Amino acid sequence: MEAKPNLKSKWNGPAVLAEGLVKHYTSREGTVEAVRGVDLAVETAEIFAFLGPNGAGKSTTVRMLTTLLSITSGRAEVAGIDVERDPDGARRRIGVALQEAGLDPRQTGRELLNLHGRLFGLSPARSKERAQELLELVELEEAADRSIKGYSGGMGRRLDLAAALVHQPEILFLDEPTTGLDPASRLTVWDELRRINDEGTTVFLTTQYLEEADQLCDRLAIIDDGLIVRQGTPSQLKADLRERRGGSEEPSLDDVFLDATGRTRERAAGEVQRVTA
Amino acid sequence: MSAVVALGQRSLREVLRQPDALFMTMFIPLFFLVVNTGQAADIFPSDSTAFLEGQGYGAFQLPITLLLAASFGMAPLFLVEEIEGGYFDKLRAIPIPRYSIVLGRLVAEGAKGLVLASVIVLVALPFGITIASGVAGFVLLILMGALWGVVYAGFMQLIALKTRSAAATNAGGLIFFPLLFLTPNFVPRELLTKPMEIAASINPVTYLMEAMRSLILDDLDWSKIWPGFAVIAVLGALMLVLNVRMIKNYD
Repeated sequence: MEAKPNLKSKWNGPAVLAEGLVKHYTSREGTVEAVRGVDLAVETAEIFAFLGPNGAGKSTTVRMLTTLLSITSGRAEVAGIDVERDPDGARRRIGVALQEAGLDPRQTGRELLNLHGRLFGLSPARSKERAQELLELVELEEAADRSIKGYSGGMGRRLDLAAALVHQPEILFLDEPTTGLDPASRLTVWDELRRINDEGTTVFLTTQYLEEADQLCDRLAIIDDGLIVRQGTPSQLKADLRERRGGSEEPSLDDVFLDATGRTRERAAGEVQRVTA
Repeated sequence: MSAVVALGQRSLREVLRQPDALFMTMFIPLFFLVVNTGQAADIFPSDSTAFLEGQGYGAFQLPITLLLAASFGMAPLFLVEEIEGGYFDKLRAIPIPRYSIVLGRLVAEGAKGLVLASVIVLVALPFGITIASGVAGFVLLILMGALWGVVYAGFMQLIALKTRSAAATNAGGLIFFPLLFLTPNFVPRELLTKPMEIAASINPVTYLMEAMRSLILDDLDWSKIWPGFAVIAVLGALMLVLNVRMIKNYD
């Protein structure tokens, strides 16, 4: 894969680096090992997809990388900054849109973006300007002065994305950005992500949609049961599976995913039949 | 500090968009003022009850009304909503001092407290209650009520952060009632039974109540006023430290 030009960051190393990242939770039932030693290196200005079944550790990993969750062991850097040693330094360089658009329903879209501008240190005038720019970017000008409570799921996602971009971050973390969206809204978000990435922003996204990863990402990693089980470009991973299986049929990313997570189409089909019976 | 201002403006907008909540916050404390005064006024006639300093029993009860009004903060419930909706994480991912997340919400509690306390005192004035310490005393009384509202809502925010549950946070608000009643709320401390006097003496709300009462019944007497502000300062600092620590360690 040819490296994309680094248009934004002064840092020339990996945009995201994780070494032996581990997260344990302690509950009444005992210790849960949510992430068991993740090693990742995401290059600057690439779109990196993080795939995995439900409960595999995707969101936990993202939350550690974005300073929202403490790290049990191992270390993580964003744009060369250790997220535990200098969380505010890391926060200045990243934008975060988590699962289920986290918005303040009692504000209007414009107020929310304006607030985020102020919190990231923009002057009141620049903050208003930036809010307007972003509202135009995500096509929410008409709804800008309406309460967020009345926004549809797609509108909420777009506003969440805009809020993550207020300070022009070097790295954008998106946790399942299109889950629950209709196909048209999903395509709008994809276009937006491509455009953001073209400007030099590194995009790290988790998704359950293999088609999304195939369409958008330069490289991907598959996590299962808290461990990375595959990592590479979509074409590399498909080629690798074809070679291991033999034959000339081109595997899909679904096949790669099922192979990597130890699941099979037969088993998946069986589960569906049991559910619908 | 600019983050506190920005988040404070947001929380003020929230309060202004729910004026009906403000009405209920005012109604219940005024209801207790009327009921308590109505039940006990004949037992403590103003002309023969020394501790009333010539005023009616309503003046003695007014601090309880103000403290009760200050305990109906909305900030903790807004915080739980934010935690459940994911916006709290969004704020945590912004490089702002953690204290600004705590204080930003409480700015509105302070502003709301000033309005509520002013209205309650102004409503009480036509019923024969006067503020013996004058305009300065009125300002101090309102300020004390509002600041206590901030401190109390801050402690409730701790429950919200710990439990992340609206039901538990609501239930946590009930803690205030023992604190309010383990005080010299119906008679001065020296007239309480010995066990109640001991309980009231170790309850910080007592000193707040006595300071407020002093502002209503006496001239400005700093020896009685400062303990109230001291309670607010000490508990306020403790509240802030605990909140910041909890947000820093929030997983």
